[in-house]
Amino acid sequence: MSAAERKHEFVDSLRRRQIIDGLSLGKRTDGRGLTDYRELKMEIGAIVKANGSAMVHLGNTIVLVGVKVNLGTPFPDTPDEGILTVNADVLPIASPYEEPGPPDEDTIELARVVDRGIRESHMIDMSKLAIQPGKKVYSVFIDVTVLDVDGNLFDAVSYAAVAALMTTRFKKAVVKGDEVIQSDKMMEMPVKTIPVSITTAKIGSHTILDPDGIEEAVMDARLTTTFDSANRLCATQKGGEGWFTPEEILRQMDIARVKAKEIRSVIKEAVKNAKKS
Amino acid sequence: MTELIDKNNLRVDGRKLDELRPIKMQVGILKNADGSAYIEWGKNKIIAGVYGPKECHPKHMALPDRALLKCRYHMAPFSVDERKSPQPSRREIELSKIIREALSPAILLEEFPRTAIEIYIEVLQSDGGSRVASITAASAALADAGIPMKDLVVGCAVGKIDGKIVADLSDIEDKEGEVDLPVACMPNLNSVTLLQSDGPLSKEEFKKAFKLALDKCRYVYDIQRKALLEGYLAKTKEA
Amino acid sequence: MSKIRRKFVVPGDLIVRGDYKPVANVYREGNSIYSLKVGLSEIEGRRVRVIPLSGRYAPRVNDVVVGIITDINPYAWTVDINSFFSAFLPATDVFGKRFSPERDDLTSRLKLKDVILAQIISFDRSKDPMLSAQGPRLGPIRGGHLVKISPVKVPRLIGRKGSMTRMIEEATGTRIIIGQNGYVVINGPPEKIPLAIKSIEMVEAEAHLAGLTENIQNFLSKSLGRKIESEKFDGE
Repeated sequence: MSAAERKHEFVDSLRRRQIIDGLSLGKRTDGRGLTDYRELKMEIGAIVKANGSAMVHLGNTIVLVGVKVNLGTPFPDTPDEGILTVNADVLPIASPYEEPGPPDEDTIELARVVDRGIRESHMIDMSKLAIQPGKKVYSVFIDVTVLDVDGNLFDAVSYAAVAALMTTRFKKAVVKGDEVIQSDKMMEMPVKTIPVSITTAKIGSHTILDPDGIEEAVMDARLTTTFDSANRLCATQKGGEGWFTPEEILRQMDIARVKAKEIRSVIKEAVKNAKKS
Repeated sequence: MTELIDKNNLRVDGRKLDELRPIKMQVGILKNADGSAYIEWGKNKIIAGVYGPKECHPKHMALPDRALLKCRYHMAPFSVDERKSPQPSRREIELSKIIREALSPAILLEEFPRTAIEIYIEVLQSDGGSRVASITAASAALADAGIPMKDLVVGCAVGKIDGKIVADLSDIEDKEGEVDLPVACMPNLNSVTLLQSDGPLSKEEFKKAFKLALDKCRYVYDIQRKALLEGYLAKTKEA
Repeated sequence: MSKIRRKFVVPGDLIVRGDYKPVANVYREGNSIYSLKVGLSEIEGRRVRVIPLSGRYAPRVNDVVVGIITDINPYAWTVDINSFFSAFLPATDVFGKRFSPERDDLTSRLKLKDVILAQIISFDRSKDPMLSAQGPRLGPIRGGHLVKISPVKVPRLIGRKGSMTRMIEEATGTRIIIGQNGYVVINGPPEKIPLAIKSIEMVEAEAHLAGLTENIQNFLSKSLGRKIESEKFDGE
């Protein structure tokens, strides 16, 4: 059953006041402006045993995503499409509030929101992942390991997953008679667009981008929006115990749409460099 | 692909683009729960029950400054075409959370420190838009339980099918369509408490869809309010 | 007497704009007063409140409640008072200051499932309601019939200055002990109890209808085959 569990620092009332006072002056506790992201560092391809991988540092938040491509049987309702699965694990070392065990509701939400951003933007041409329609398709596992939590897991994980997918290479399977076998030829993930997730948080009457841990601890509500390369909105998720006015939502989307372009070029650049080396 | 909108702008079930499926609601249908509501919305048949405020168990979950709000969205195994395992799926776990967060802003939780309020949603039969139907029923059940709320919460989904923005997707429209966009709000407070979307929408399309959703929430709100009034009259007349 | 304006409301309904005082089950936002509950809103002069249709009992200091012992530890009884908190009755309240947990056995005074009439002597956001059973009429209730009604209907069962209770007591020849928490105990000859219970249930069911006193009066008159009088107040 879903219930609000505190999974973040216990923030004293002075600190909360200080954060809100700062926001009124357009400053955040770490010196950022209201719409600034923390430094985004991407290390692509570090896990050579995976078909694709990316480690993302977003400020102090560290996440690692590995992509594995297997052969699988398609779902009956989509016989000519590959399979995409996102799983997330927030490690017990990642935060004092995490414990070993099956994923809790926050982790499940994280995996599902990242999944939606990739799936609903149609980032991957799923029809190109069919090998033998109705029988054999590629099954793409996107496994997320969160190593250190300091806010905005949604975006960090999304960037890592997207970068890992863009650099994923796997053995091409071929149909030989009645059998499907893996060949030695390598194939790249059929990527159609680059989805970018942008998360905004509402604290009092202020809207900020890329909330860090302490900001998440005091925020009223959160809005995660994902945009494709054509800057269309592809996925949305409101979170948190608070609310937004319709005007706030439209304004946040405008800010997010601009920011998505910026982040997309960072991801593109990182992927380009990774492919060169 | 199935054609979802015909040349007369009518949908598979004969509805106009902005027309909702029939909605029926009834409040106070369970004896044991402190509050309850039943909703039929298209083929959705959903029951919501509320217990509390009550003593919080386990005790260590209790919050010193407000009530702990708990929510379970659950689908009966027979509620969908293929039998669903009674174990909660990832989707049900996410929806339990998102529904809790949609209802939470309306409730005066701080009036009941150290207690728990439990919301149980059981989807007996599922159709498109089950989460917004659940929110609408659960909010009525909370009101029926006498739990103080700043406003009712009401939901409605809109979407995009065959390139057009439409209200209230049915099962097939949700599966075959391009976009589903569920919204919940507190209509008197101009507050959006749930917003999700999946599928590509241009800036203008989103604006149009979002506005349509908020308009339709108003329509559903009138049904919800009427159900509470009827529940009230029924309760005060039975002897 | 100022006129009372009533209407049916649900949470979030605007009741009135302007200079009004929120009294119960309503909240103010800017210049407006909105309902927090399903019920009947009442504007009496400048005072605005909603009489709720339902809800659990919210403890208030000084309320007299009927409670049921649900647990016993060496220092106190835990008491169900039909609320979201269990109340507790400290052993010292019953045994006095010289209470000794080694010597005194709590069950010698009150056992599990016993019923008591007690007063809430302290309660706030951080601690459970504390009871006292010392005082006129307070203490164990050793006989009678326990009926549970919705706590929001208790004011109607009491009626104006106790008039409703008195009418039922006099007509049925019973004694009725009402806890503010909705637990009610009826004492009297066994053959009289059913009619008293029926009357109380009727009050609960019709609490929100106009002419409640008259309806109960007619019901009692018909059941007993004689005319039952109700007390008259000025302005009625």
